[in-house]
Amino acid sequence: MARIQKKGKAGAAKNYITRTRAVKKLQISLPDFRRLCIFKGIYPREPRKKKTVSKGSTAATTFYYTKDIQYLLHEPLLAKFREHKAVAKKIARALGRGESGDAARLERNLVPKIKLDHIIKERYPTFVDALRDLDDALSMLFLFANLPSSEHVPAKTIALCQKLCHEFEHYVIVSHSLRRSFLSIKGIYYQATIQGQDVLWLVPYRFVQRTGGDIDFRIMGTFVEFYTTLLGFVNYRLYTSVGLVYPPKFNANMDAQGAELSAFQIEGKSVSTNGERLHGEVSAAATSEAQEVADRIANVPDAEEDQPENLPVAQDDEEENTETIDKFEAVAPDADVLPQPEASSAEAASLFAPYTFYLARETPRAPLEFILKAFGCKRVGWDATLGEGAFTTNESDPFITHQIIDRTPLPADAAEAIDGGGAAPRVQWPRSTMPGRIYVQPQWVWDCINQGKLLRPDLYGPGAELPPHLSPWMKPKKGEYDPKLPLHEQELEGEAEAFEEDDESASEMEVTDDVEDARDAMERESSVEAGEGMHVASSDDEEDEDDDGGDQRPAVEDEWEGFDSDAESDISEGEAARLQHQRELEAEATGNPLEPEVETARSKNAVVRKKVEKKRKEQAEERERQKMMLSNKKRKLLKRIEYGSNKRDAEAENLRRKKRRLDRTSSNKGAV
Amino acid sequence: MAPNPRKRKVVTRDAPSASESEEELADGLLDGILSHSEGESDVDQEEDAESDTSSVIEGLSDEDEEDAEDEQASSDTDPEDGEAGIREQMRKLKTRDAPTRLNGVDHALELDSRPAENGLEEQEEGRNYTVTTDANGNPRYLYKEIDPVYDSDDSDAEATNTIGNIPLSYYDEYPHIGYDINGKKIMRPAKGEALDALLDQIDIPKGWTGLTDPATGKPLNLSEEELDVLKRLTRNEVVEDGYDPYPDMVYYFSGKQEVMPLSAAPEPKRRFVPSKHEAKRVMKIVKAIREGRIQPYKPPSEEEEEEERVYYDVWADEKPRPENSMHIAAPKLPPPGYDASYHPPKEYLPDKNEEAAWLEADEEDREKDFLPKNYEALRKVPGYERFVKERFERSLDLYLAPRVRRNKLNIDPESLLPKLPNPDDLKPFPTTCAAIFRGQEGRVRSVSFDPNGIFVASGGDDGYVRIWELLTGRQVWNVKLSSEDAVDAVKWMPTKDASVLTAAAGESVYLIVPYSILSPDVEQASRAILDAGWGYAAAKPSTTTNGVTKEPPGKWARPGTKLESKGVLVQATVRSAIKIINWHRKGDYFATVSPRGQSSAVAIHTLSKHLTQLPFRRLKGIAQTAQFHPSKAIFFVATRNTIRSYDLAKQELVKILQPGAKWISSIDVHPGGDNIIVGTYDKRLLWHDLDLSTKPYKTLRFHQEAIRAVRFHQGGLPLFADASDDGSLQIFHGKVVGDLMENATIVPLKVLKGHKVKSRLGVMDVDWHPREPWCVSAGADGTCRLWN
Repeated sequence: MARIQKKGKAGAAKNYITRTRAVKKLQISLPDFRRLCIFKGIYPREPRKKKTVSKGSTAATTFYYTKDIQYLLHEPLLAKFREHKAVAKKIARALGRGESGDAARLERNLVPKIKLDHIIKERYPTFVDALRDLDDALSMLFLFANLPSSEHVPAKTIALCQKLCHEFEHYVIVSHSLRRSFLSIKGIYYQATIQGQDVLWLVPYRFVQRTGGDIDFRIMGTFVEFYTTLLGFVNYRLYTSVGLVYPPKFNANMDAQGAELSAFQIEGKSVSTNGERLHGEVSAAATSEAQEVADRIANVPDAEEDQPENLPVAQDDEEENTETIDKFEAVAPDADVLPQPEASSAEAASLFAPYTFYLARETPRAPLEFILKAFGCKRVGWDATLGEGAFTTNESDPFITHQIIDRTPLPADAAEAIDGGGAAPRVQWPRSTMPGRIYVQPQWVWDCINQGKLLRPDLYGPGAELPPHLSPWMKPKKGEYDPKLPLHEQELEGEAEAFEEDDESASEMEVTDDVEDARDAMERESSVEAGEGMHVASSDDEEDEDDDGGDQRPAVEDEWEGFDSDAESDISEGEAARLQHQRELEAEATGNPLEPEVETARSKNAVVRKKVEKKRKEQAEERERQKMMLSNKKRKLLKRIEYGSNKRDAEAENLRRKKRRLDRTSSNKGAV
Repeated sequence: MAPNPRKRKVVTRDAPSASESEEELADGLLDGILSHSEGESDVDQEEDAESDTSSVIEGLSDEDEEDAEDEQASSDTDPEDGEAGIREQMRKLKTRDAPTRLNGVDHALELDSRPAENGLEEQEEGRNYTVTTDANGNPRYLYKEIDPVYDSDDSDAEATNTIGNIPLSYYDEYPHIGYDINGKKIMRPAKGEALDALLDQIDIPKGWTGLTDPATGKPLNLSEEELDVLKRLTRNEVVEDGYDPYPDMVYYFSGKQEVMPLSAAPEPKRRFVPSKHEAKRVMKIVKAIREGRIQPYKPPSEEEEEEERVYYDVWADEKPRPENSMHIAAPKLPPPGYDASYHPPKEYLPDKNEEAAWLEADEEDREKDFLPKNYEALRKVPGYERFVKERFERSLDLYLAPRVRRNKLNIDPESLLPKLPNPDDLKPFPTTCAAIFRGQEGRVRSVSFDPNGIFVASGGDDGYVRIWELLTGRQVWNVKLSSEDAVDAVKWMPTKDASVLTAAAGESVYLIVPYSILSPDVEQASRAILDAGWGYAAAKPSTTTNGVTKEPPGKWARPGTKLESKGVLVQATVRSAIKIINWHRKGDYFATVSPRGQSSAVAIHTLSKHLTQLPFRRLKGIAQTAQFHPSKAIFFVATRNTIRSYDLAKQELVKILQPGAKWISSIDVHPGGDNIIVGTYDKRLLWHDLDLSTKPYKTLRFHQEAIRAVRFHQGGLPLFADASDDGSLQIFHGKVVGDLMENATIVPLKVLKGHKVKSRLGVMDVDWHPREPWCVSAGADGTCRLWN
């Protein structure tokens, strides 16, 4: 006979363990347990049957998986923790006795050094696993690289973080694996694709970070300790995979002068790679004169090579039967989008390759330098105040093709006054411009790399109102608002009309007795009669943008609307069309603008809206009827699904409404 | 003394006798081990005591003689032991009784009784009791008082008060102050005036304290020494005289050099010669220093420490590990959206209301953790002040948050919704009130369409049966059946060639031919049908009454000339008030239900024979309604919470349906015969598929009040309706397909409102037009309404 099972001896009750019990079992302190959990990547669980696990108590408790804790029991780090505890006791004793020398010696010699190598291997059995988990590591390390040192954050840690981050950036530059970047209000997002894994990290803008509040730097420090080890090993592997020596040579002097990326000297393992790689690096150290000459030589063949591929924003590659994958774009918006592989690193490597950039002193140098270099630009110069390591610090260098500025130009007369000096050797923004050089704002660089092509620089010119900077990661989803598409392609049937009706009373009455306008309305009218939606017909042309202006006509409209019931409109449609036509003819004969025409244009709006409303109402009724037949369970499920979709719809509608209002105001402004 | 210890004592004292018996056994059989057993210690014997005793008792019946002798001997051995003696006596009595009870062996009795008597005589002098005869003539033992023989001498125990640790004041009212060990009172010592007088004469004795010893109640006297001890104690001094708390220390091991050494051995040579081993070791170190192997200590520089981090290829021999099923990787943070841009499209910027709402909300409640903001140029973008905090929160999430795998619902909501037929396909169904039939007083209880669909009959509280023309809404005929009873049910006979209306008022069913509105040949046919039974009814009683005059369940008679002139031709009376009439499809039978009628609740009437039968001798529960199967010889009877179907041909129960309702109000059978709808007073409408289960296929709860009537359309349209006390009718589409695999489709179609609710009653009855999608309803407000 089977033995009677006792409660709480098997199953969920045994599978989970509270944190207190886990700490007791491991015989370590809670902070040590926390560190161990962070290092080993062990996290609490949510038991499915919480009541059985907590044996009836309803107090909020953290549960760990018992097997996780058992696995921690064999961790070599536990021994280190205990050793550390013993040494801490000794140090405390020495300090108590006032023997600070002894304490220092003990601390120096006896405090066990914790190595996390085995944990890295254990947590990430393959390199790809490590890459997959690199997002948080990079974000954290880039943050720490930008933090000031304090008592919680030793300078050594910061230096290590900076070093590792720069090394990683060097790899991204060398392998051209940066894909996208985005200027958010939080910081700059970068996305690199390394060995097929997308790694997304966030780098803060260079400002002093606010570290107040309830931020526990011990926890962050533990994470940083783990992440530095991880990134070190990842960097090693990445460098060796592209045939570079790790660690790269680090020039402390240059770093002290703010060279940042250029303080590292990347070396290839074999001689062949060495020469090419060294090129940029050596140049940094060389004098600018010699460099210019050298680069001129280097530049010429480069440009020749790249010209057929890269110049042509205009040039089509229709005859070019390349081996690359063609881009398939869906014609209908509701079609499924099949994923296609991203642009290859070769394309990324060639985007900025033929150009020489110069960064003005008000631009953020580090991200620009990183991005430009990652996308193939080999010559990035900047103002001397921005630090060492520039290709050139001379703004009037004739090789500079693009200058990135973030300042508005001086008024024309002031600029001209200086320009009048003629061939001044120093060409300085914003006083004067260099002919043939493209001046752009920094956003141009980001938009270029996100779209994978060089954009029109005049849109990003100095002082220009920039086009909106869009996140490159947002995929258009059905039912969501997409700012890239024009409004009329997205809105629901009858939505615009409804909006116009609603807004009518709010907007000012604009009376324009342009014949042009009336003709416009006429055209629209006829097109509607031909069976098309009025909106579609009108919205394409610039001219028609002020159609609501036309609609604003004061009118004796209300009675007409009241008369226009559902049944009535159906019957009289043909009649109305006939009347309309006759009226048009009359008007043409007399040469007068049509009076009641505008009324009908407006009434058409109402008709469309009413039709749509009726249809929607019918649909809603039908849906209600269907819902009535659902089982309770399914009804609840449906409710949950609909909650999400309704929310999304409401959000999209809100955005569309705002957009429509903005369009309206801008068009009004344009009209005035 | 408690009895238990004594009993235990007895058992242990048994040991010697047991050993005796063992001896005895050994004598007889086990001669060889006798010496061995004797040699054993007493302790062993005592251990065996119990088992031995049992063996003795067993032995009593077998070998009585020997045993008796044995007992005798044992009693001789220890006569001084009182209890044991008693025990022995008891045992002897028992042994004496045993053979008599056995009653088998005569000589055994003789053998047994004799030694027992001997034993008794021998014991006379040593015993501690006297034997008398009690009232029943049985011997009665009167024991002497037991003299406890104490080994220890307790004469030194003082005769102290035994009242225990209670205040002496309890005895204030008594002349004594307690009891001594013998239970004698300890008298209170003299006190008060008598004593005062005495004291005046006497000096205060030495050691007098003025205190009373609570134990004895006598004055407490203390000696000189005792007083001295007390005094020292109060002064915190050492009690004992001449005790030195700090004696001089005695040095056991002194630093003094003894004159004579303990060992006379001379100092060994090695104490004077330099150590070669040490020299060797020093030379080794010197050599190492010269060679540079040992270097003077220099603290490691910072850089060296930094260089300690050694990186290598950890993944040199990487092997993918199958992911633990319980492991959940930390979810990645989602990429930023359009609104996170430093220069987003303008529509993403919050307007004033949204901004205020965001600022007002608690940090946890905010949907986004930032407020979208627009900066015209990159140089104007400030630092994000929550950056470190967000990173910190992320790291907290990573190690502190339980991870749960949530299944994201990726179901198309459209797939959940059932495919309903197009509303246009469901047409026609009644939607509006086409006519209102007014004229009744009080509630209208019942309505019925005539089989041709021209007339509607109604019956109500005013006792009238009225017939209305459907299209005009005009009342064409009426008759007052009863002045005191309401007309509870009206029903047309379902045949088309004849037109007979049945109406129930009180205990009677009236069969009516409203000839004034009928064509002559129809009228003729109808009359013929009704009159056919008269002859049979006359002949019948002689055949059925077999000697005993048994009252027939129904009496068929003519209702009287006044009614007959209006067309009410036949009156059938049963034992209690009829509430429901339902016709068989052929028009020859109809069933009436009178819920109060106990065993005669359900009656089936045969029109052609003018015969009333009670199919059920006893009915379980109160019958609510009954109906014939539309095609088979099956009869459905609904009681309060079950529906039973009976096969009329085989006369047996076919099926019991359990709708799970508390109180069924009405049922109707689908024309196909396989589905039943049930209306209940507990607001539910239940659809039963007879082929499926005894439980309802669908339970519909769309009414706020009780459902009074349910009705299928009988003319081929897939419609059914229910009438409720909330004043509304609900029309449903209920399509039944012949295919067994496919369930019935039920679609709610329309709620028809119009009837007023009067005294919590709404619509009382509903009936469908035989062909058209029209229905007529009877309301408690005194109207009937036609819906189409």
